[in-house]
Order: sequence, then C-alpha cells, then structure tokens
Amino acid sequence: MDAEAMKMLGAGLAVGVGLVGPGVGIGILGYGAMQALGRNPEARGAIMTNMILAIAFAEALGIYALITGIILAMVA
Amino acid sequence: MPGRGMSTKMKVTILVALVLALLIVGFLSGELAKSMFDATIEPLHIELEKPQLPAQPVTDPLFGDFSLTNTILAAWLTIILLVGVCYAATRKMRAVPSGLQNLVEAALEALLNFVQGVAGEKNGRRFFPVIATIFLFVITNAWLGLLPGFGSITAHGPEGEVTLLRNASTDINVPLALALVSFVVVEFWGLSAVGFSSYMRRFVNLGRLRLGMGQLLRGKLKSAATSIFSGAIDVFVGALEALSEVMRIVSFTFRLFGNMTAGEILLIVVPFLVPWVVALPFYGLELLVGFVQALIFAGLTLVFAVIAVAPHGAKQEAA
Repeated sequence: MDAEAMKMLGAGLAVGVGLVGPGVGIGILGYGAMQALGRNPEARGAIMTNMILAIAFAEALGIYALITGIILAMVA
Repeated sequence: MPGRGMSTKMKVTILVALVLALLIVGFLSGELAKSMFDATIEPLHIELEKPQLPAQPVTDPLFGDFSLTNTILAAWLTIILLVGVCYAATRKMRAVPSGLQNLVEAALEALLNFVQGVAGEKNGRRFFPVIATIFLFVITNAWLGLLPGFGSITAHGPEGEVTLLRNASTDINVPLALALVSFVVVEFWGLSAVGFSSYMRRFVNLGRLRLGMGQLLRGKLKSAATSIFSGAIDVFVGALEALSEVMRIVSFTFRLFGNMTAGEILLIVVPFLVPWVVALPFYGLELLVGFVQALIFAGLTLVFAVIAVAPHGAKQEAA
C-alpha cells in the first residue's frame, strides 16, 4: 500500500477508534449526573459543575485523537 | 414589490420561500451536489482551501526569525477590544449603572459568582482577576474569530497570499502561553498558601521511607519492611502527582487548540460542501464551543488552584 493510502487509513482509524473511549466515558458521566440529580435535585449546582469538569477531561482525550487525524490527513 | 399592507402570514410565507430558495441554490452550487449530480452552478462554486496548522506570517521578519502572524494581529484586536470596552464602561461611573457599565458589571458579577461558588468567598476574591482574565481572553478570541473578515481578508505575506486575521487560539502558541500562565499561577498560589516545604511534601513524600530506614537500623525488621514498602509507594505516588501537574500544561494546550482548530476546519469544510444556509447551525455550535472552552479553561485552573491551596490534612481527608 502506498503512503497516501496508509495516511488516510491511519487518519480514519485514529479518529474512529480514538473517539469510542471519550464517547462512552461522557455517556457514563451523564448517566451518573442524571442519577444524582434525580436523587437530590437541590444539589444541582455542585452536580452540574463537577459533571462539566469531568466531561472536559474526557473530551480532551477525544480532541487528542482528532488532532492526530487532522495532522495525518492534511499536514503530513 | 411587497407593499405596506402585508399581513403577517404573507411575510412569513415570503421569508420561508426565500430561505428555501437560498437552501436549494446553495446546495446546488456546493461540492455535495457536484459529486452527486456531476454538475454544479459554476459561478458560485468555491474551491476548498487547505487548512493550515501553523500560523502564517503577514509581514517580513522584523528581527531574527520573528514576523507578525495573522494570529498575533487577531490577539491584538482582542486585547484592544477588551481594554476599550472596560475603559469605555468605567469613564463616567454611576452608583446605579446603566448602558455599557451595566453590561460589564453583569458579566463580571456572573464570573465572580462562579469563581466564589467553586473557591469560597476569600479565595474566590484572590483568584478572580487571573481566572476572569483567562475566561474573557479565550472567549473573546473564539467569538471574534467568527466575525466576517476573519479568514476572508487576504494579504500578501512572505509565504504567498494569507488571510489577514485568524482566530488567535488556532496558533498553538496562544493556548500554550495561557496554559503556562495557569500552571505558574496555580503553583504560586499553592506555595504562598501552605508554604514551600508543606507544598513540596505533596510530590516528594519521603517521610515514611525515612521512618522505615530508621526502623531497619534499629533492628525492628517487620515494621521496617511495611514502612519501607508504603514509603516506596508514597514516593511513587508523589512522582506521579508531579508528572500529572506538568502534563496539565500539555492537556490544557491541546484541549483549547484542538477545539478551536477543529471548529475552524469545520467552518471551512461545511460551506464548501453545502454553501450558505446550512453553515448557520455550525456557527451556533462554534459560539457554544467558544463559551464552553473558555469556561473549562478558567474553571479547571480554578479547580486546580483550590486543590493546591487546600491545607495538607484536608486534602488527604478528601482523597
């Protein structure tokens, strides 16, 4: 396989496989937050703040995968 | 031509018809239609410009290798805008604010409530200037980058024709600088709150190891073994903490850089595929992403600062 094809394949795999983890992680975080909110609607502020924080961490990992894909496809 | 006596129903119909016409014409002049029907409205068709990752210089090198890049110009624009708005809002200050002063005060009060909500009253006041500056800088950078003119005005630079202005956060140096500022400031607050030796004990925790060594020399072999074992674990955990502090710089940088660059590329590619109307929801998305990223950068700095200034005992209790 020539280099161009490998680069495209690599980019697709990087983004596709790399975003499974953050996707599942953010889903689990949302689930936990919804449960906590259902049990204790008064703690809405603290729950939301912590949920957004944790989602930022998970999303950053997805962004790393996206950057790798962009670099492979468009710059390298 | 529509006259003065038009009913609301008529106006809505005309509006819907206009949007639909724009949608259809736009779709037919884009790349999607070209690949589907092999034909497109040629005069309206645009070529895809290749997204550049490093920032492009706009002038010849001023000294050494350094030349003004389009992202530097955009960052200067941000600074001028922020300072100008604050100056204009505080020129004739009144006790009961109105107009621009009211707007600025409302924004700052919302930020102060957010910071104090996470850090408490006293610490919130202390952390507020840096956190609010980081937030306002990132969000103004992001939202300015959506205005017409950013990405469309071109100039003759040393590397050919480049756009004159570009979202400052798409240059990796800007998120890196912000991440370094955030790191230095958090370490400074931590050191000034609990003192040098107490703060360093988080990362270099030789207490139990030394205790184990002492017990070994005194001949208490069994307690020495457990102490040395847990002491080694302490040292390892401390080293891991230090590593994660440094990794924070990398993660802050790439989170902001990645979001802003991906957004910019999205806004280049979507109008290439389907011009005109379809790009509007993506502009809405970019507004949201700019706000969320600013909140996250400032908010994470705040959270790490709160962790850093927590007294040593309380932190172990929370962990």
